[in-house]
Amino acid sequence: MTTDTAVSTPDIAGDSLAREAWRRLKQNKAATTSLVLLALVTLACVAGPWLTPWALDEVDWNAFLTPPSLADGHYAGTDANGRDLLTRTLHGGRVSLSVALVATLVSLAIGVLYGAVAGYLGGRVDNLMMRFVDIMYSLPFMFLVILLMVVFGRNILLIYAAIGAVEWLDMSRIVRGQVLALKRREFVEAAHALGVKDRKIVTRHLIPNAIGPVIVYVTLTVPKVILLESFLSFLGLGVQEPLTSWGVLISEGKDMMETAPWMLLVPSVFLALTLFCLNFLGDGLRDALDPKTR
Amino acid sequence: MPKPLLEIDRLGVDFDLPGGAVTAVKDVSFRIHAGETLALVGESGSGKSVSSTAAMGLLPELARTHGAIRFEGEDLLAATPKRLRRLRGNDIAMIFQEPMTSLNPLHRIGRQIGEVLERHRGLKGRAARARVRELLERVGIPEPERRIDSYPYELSGGQRQRVMIAMALACEPKLLIADEPTTALDVTVQAQILALLKDLQRRDGMAILFITHDLGIVRHFADRVCVMRQGELVEHGETAALFAAPRHAYTRMLIDAEPRGRKAPVTADAPLLLEARDVRVRFSLNKRLFRPSTYFEAVRGIDLSIRRGQTVGIVGESGSGKSTLGRALLRLLDSRGDIRFDDTALDGLNASAMRPLRSRIQVVFQDPFGSLSPRLTVGEIVGEGLKVHALELSARERDARVQEALREVALDPAMRRRYPHEFSGGQRQRIAIARALVLKPEFLLLDEPTSALDRSVQATVIELLRDLQARHGLTYLFISHDLAVVRALADTVLVMKQGEVVEQGDTETLFETPREAYTRELMRAAFLEEAAA
Amino acid sequence: MLRYTLKRLLMAVPTLLIVITLSFFLMHLAPGGPFDGERQLPAEIEANLLATYHLDDPIWKQYLIYMGNLLQGDLGPSFKYKDFTVTELVAQGFPVSLELGFWAIGLALLIGLPLGIIAALKRNSTVDYLVMGTALAGVAIPNFVIAPLLALVFGVFLAWLPVGGWNDGAWPNLVLPVVALSIQQIAYIARMMRASMIEVLGSHFIRTARAKGLTETEVIRRHAIRPAMLPVVSYLGPAIAGIITGSVVIEQIFGIPGIGRYFVQAALNRDYTLVMGTVVFYGALIVLLNLIVDLIYSALDPQIRYDD
Repeated sequence: MTTDTAVSTPDIAGDSLAREAWRRLKQNKAATTSLVLLALVTLACVAGPWLTPWALDEVDWNAFLTPPSLADGHYAGTDANGRDLLTRTLHGGRVSLSVALVATLVSLAIGVLYGAVAGYLGGRVDNLMMRFVDIMYSLPFMFLVILLMVVFGRNILLIYAAIGAVEWLDMSRIVRGQVLALKRREFVEAAHALGVKDRKIVTRHLIPNAIGPVIVYVTLTVPKVILLESFLSFLGLGVQEPLTSWGVLISEGKDMMETAPWMLLVPSVFLALTLFCLNFLGDGLRDALDPKTR
Repeated sequence: MPKPLLEIDRLGVDFDLPGGAVTAVKDVSFRIHAGETLALVGESGSGKSVSSTAAMGLLPELARTHGAIRFEGEDLLAATPKRLRRLRGNDIAMIFQEPMTSLNPLHRIGRQIGEVLERHRGLKGRAARARVRELLERVGIPEPERRIDSYPYELSGGQRQRVMIAMALACEPKLLIADEPTTALDVTVQAQILALLKDLQRRDGMAILFITHDLGIVRHFADRVCVMRQGELVEHGETAALFAAPRHAYTRMLIDAEPRGRKAPVTADAPLLLEARDVRVRFSLNKRLFRPSTYFEAVRGIDLSIRRGQTVGIVGESGSGKSTLGRALLRLLDSRGDIRFDDTALDGLNASAMRPLRSRIQVVFQDPFGSLSPRLTVGEIVGEGLKVHALELSARERDARVQEALREVALDPAMRRRYPHEFSGGQRQRIAIARALVLKPEFLLLDEPTSALDRSVQATVIELLRDLQARHGLTYLFISHDLAVVRALADTVLVMKQGEVVEQGDTETLFETPREAYTRELMRAAFLEEAAA
Repeated sequence: MLRYTLKRLLMAVPTLLIVITLSFFLMHLAPGGPFDGERQLPAEIEANLLATYHLDDPIWKQYLIYMGNLLQGDLGPSFKYKDFTVTELVAQGFPVSLELGFWAIGLALLIGLPLGIIAALKRNSTVDYLVMGTALAGVAIPNFVIAPLLALVFGVFLAWLPVGGWNDGAWPNLVLPVVALSIQQIAYIARMMRASMIEVLGSHFIRTARAKGLTETEVIRRHAIRPAMLPVVSYLGPAIAGIITGSVVIEQIFGIPGIGRYFVQAALNRDYTLVMGTVVFYGALIVLLNLIVDLIYSALDPQIRYDD
């Protein structure tokens, strides 16, 4: 065991918690595989549309509703208008992933700010702010978003904002809980006793320690956001032509599933794979950052 | 020689962990006879709890055992799970360290006790209820008829432990295994529980295997003692003989680890360093939106003066307001009343006016795991105060000061690039002391600095604190529930109860001739004089 | 208990008010009026129509009128289904949606809870990995993907079950939509139950129960399951909301005449009063169901304080 004697040894750099968490994450095969797959999907969606021989709404007059084939360059087949499905799916992925990114950032910004303020101020303000969150929780948000889309028309910026505005509630609760708990920790009191300024306490002691659960929650929010966007698009309330998204493609595929099942399967596989990987990654991150396994 | 009730014969327990097997218990043998009390003593990680859990057959699945545990001649390690279940709760019962969480929060306590009777005696309905009531009465639960229908959250920690004891006694076991049953309780409650156990043992003649880290309890409670260290049994013998002449160096160290020595009082003309008049702290209990808050006054008008070089001890049980008082004096909490430090009135100072004084007033907290920011290196933690108070230092000079502070608390300065989670409890507490010392303060608030540590580690930290005080002429305010530690360190003592000072005076007088009933009760409980009688 | 219920009901009032007000003003912010799409009406008739629907009044007055009607259970006329009021449409659709939702949540609990318990008890075994892998797939694959796939396999290829239609809730028509609607919730509940069960099994009072000499079955049945279910119960609120949201797509995919389908059609047709009416109705429903869930929770956990 450890002894308290001072023996002179060369300086030893220790392992920070972040590095330990990273090491644990790397040992988790499911999580690392997911991370690699996600990177591949993202790369494909970002770079892919330039690499495929077809443009988003380019019609191939020789191929209507053709099944996937290596011979004619439609690796995932074509739709009823003779458009290349792979190209469309990758384009759709851009939309879905950009919604995921932006809407998550919106929810992160609102949630962290709101939660941190409530937790840090505490008392009556906190009580009032959290009561408000409770009320928001019991609103049928999904339906309000749909109402919004109906009223203001389908617009991708609106989708970013609306979904972000729906998803911040959980984040604010998590951040508030973290801040409340950290505020009472003795190392924060010790920092106060040292005379460290409030701003420094927040940046040096509160934020770095609250960041773990936030990261985990972000990875779990991303799939929810993607799901919401595809849900809206599936209902015909999401992005409009010429833009497309996985939800739109799945909706189109559903109508053709008896004659052209690939139209349903290709975008579904992309969507499910992405969601699957994000969930695995979220689980892996939670295990890696969980203090109980420490 | 009569046949032993329980015979542990060369018991070994290994745990199969991902990193390889870890030996928790190695070749341990001892015996307990009917009606006697055997204490199994050791510090954390000594394997004492693992041994007793093995006797109950409750080890986790990844444990491998060898050797034998014979109960009335029958080897429990070889017994079927069914046979073990017949014994558990019936012939062998167990109580645990954690009274707050050991009861099912969703069931009434009557039902939880009744379950044992149903399982082993087939008692149900009215007969079971009558027996449960009788048991509750025996363990001293007030109003058993009403309490039988209470949920655990309606009871205090001490009462819950009594319920656990009632549950254990329900089938009049031959052996009771008590695993640190009083560690989580206040001293006065601890004394009551120990007296209860003794009393019940006298009446029922059961044997008790008492597992503890606290030698003070052992001396008065056990007939025989086994001392364990790192999974091995290092010494055993009759209690009196063992305490009088410990043979093994570790036992000797444990006994010596009980805080000793006294502090020489400062001269009467030493200047006042900290003075407080009528300090009051109140918390609002439930902040309601549109209704006035209700308040709880945690500190109710306390006067205090501390002279340079003095150590003032504050003792009290949980909820007495002692820690709140400490935080109020350091202006970490809002309070009312006058507080003067040296020549400055602290009350009413805002954070920035208070900041220059912070380097002169420092604090060390109880929890060595909670008081160090887990994401900073030891060097960053210790150096943080310098960044506030010694801006003129270069990074190199700051590092030199950090190294000096670490050396001062007998830690290797090479460790400063490491993170807190890589250190043991005692080492962390040293880091916390270094963080305070690096600012060269005059006054240190020590809030239960040794309570979370093993006795042997505790002794070294106390030595360190004593040594630092002598070297730097520090003034201490020492808050603790541990009277032995306070007696060894303080020259004046305040006894607090429910936010008020019950009694104060110089340490020797107060400990030798306590005036107030509460102080006497506290001391009796702490030094277990009743149990000895 | 009664006081608590009343208090919770009282708290539901501001929530509902927010939903109604928000929906109302959103709707009136919408560009164009409800009759724009019609062929050009003579000015006189249009003025008449506006007057009938109070659309010529100032907006605050319209709001008050709407609230007044709402209190009498009148959600206004539908702009597209001219022969029906919104209330009538909701009243027609609700029993259908309710039946669907009821079976879906029932199935989710009936399958999700045992799966979670089994996975927790056989932790890190093949069974556990299998259950949790499937559950993760259930979380990852959205119901609007599962539903067409189910219809394709069981309705088209195998032709065991009808691909759509309601047929007054005959069970062959119910199976596919209920399964599609509940899969995601089954997965969530199983994952949650497993995690919570594992935590409870490691708690001190389970050790106490074992020390009493209870059999493992008794320990689990009497001491582990109920506390482990508490987080799942508090998840029921979101679960129900999820099922209601899900029913919107499922009803559309399977052509089921519930409110969900009206809602989608109304949204696409810009039938503002119907959209708003359904939102208000869903709002009230979710608030009510949340209240019921909270009451169930407080019945399970004695430590809940009613006076807070």
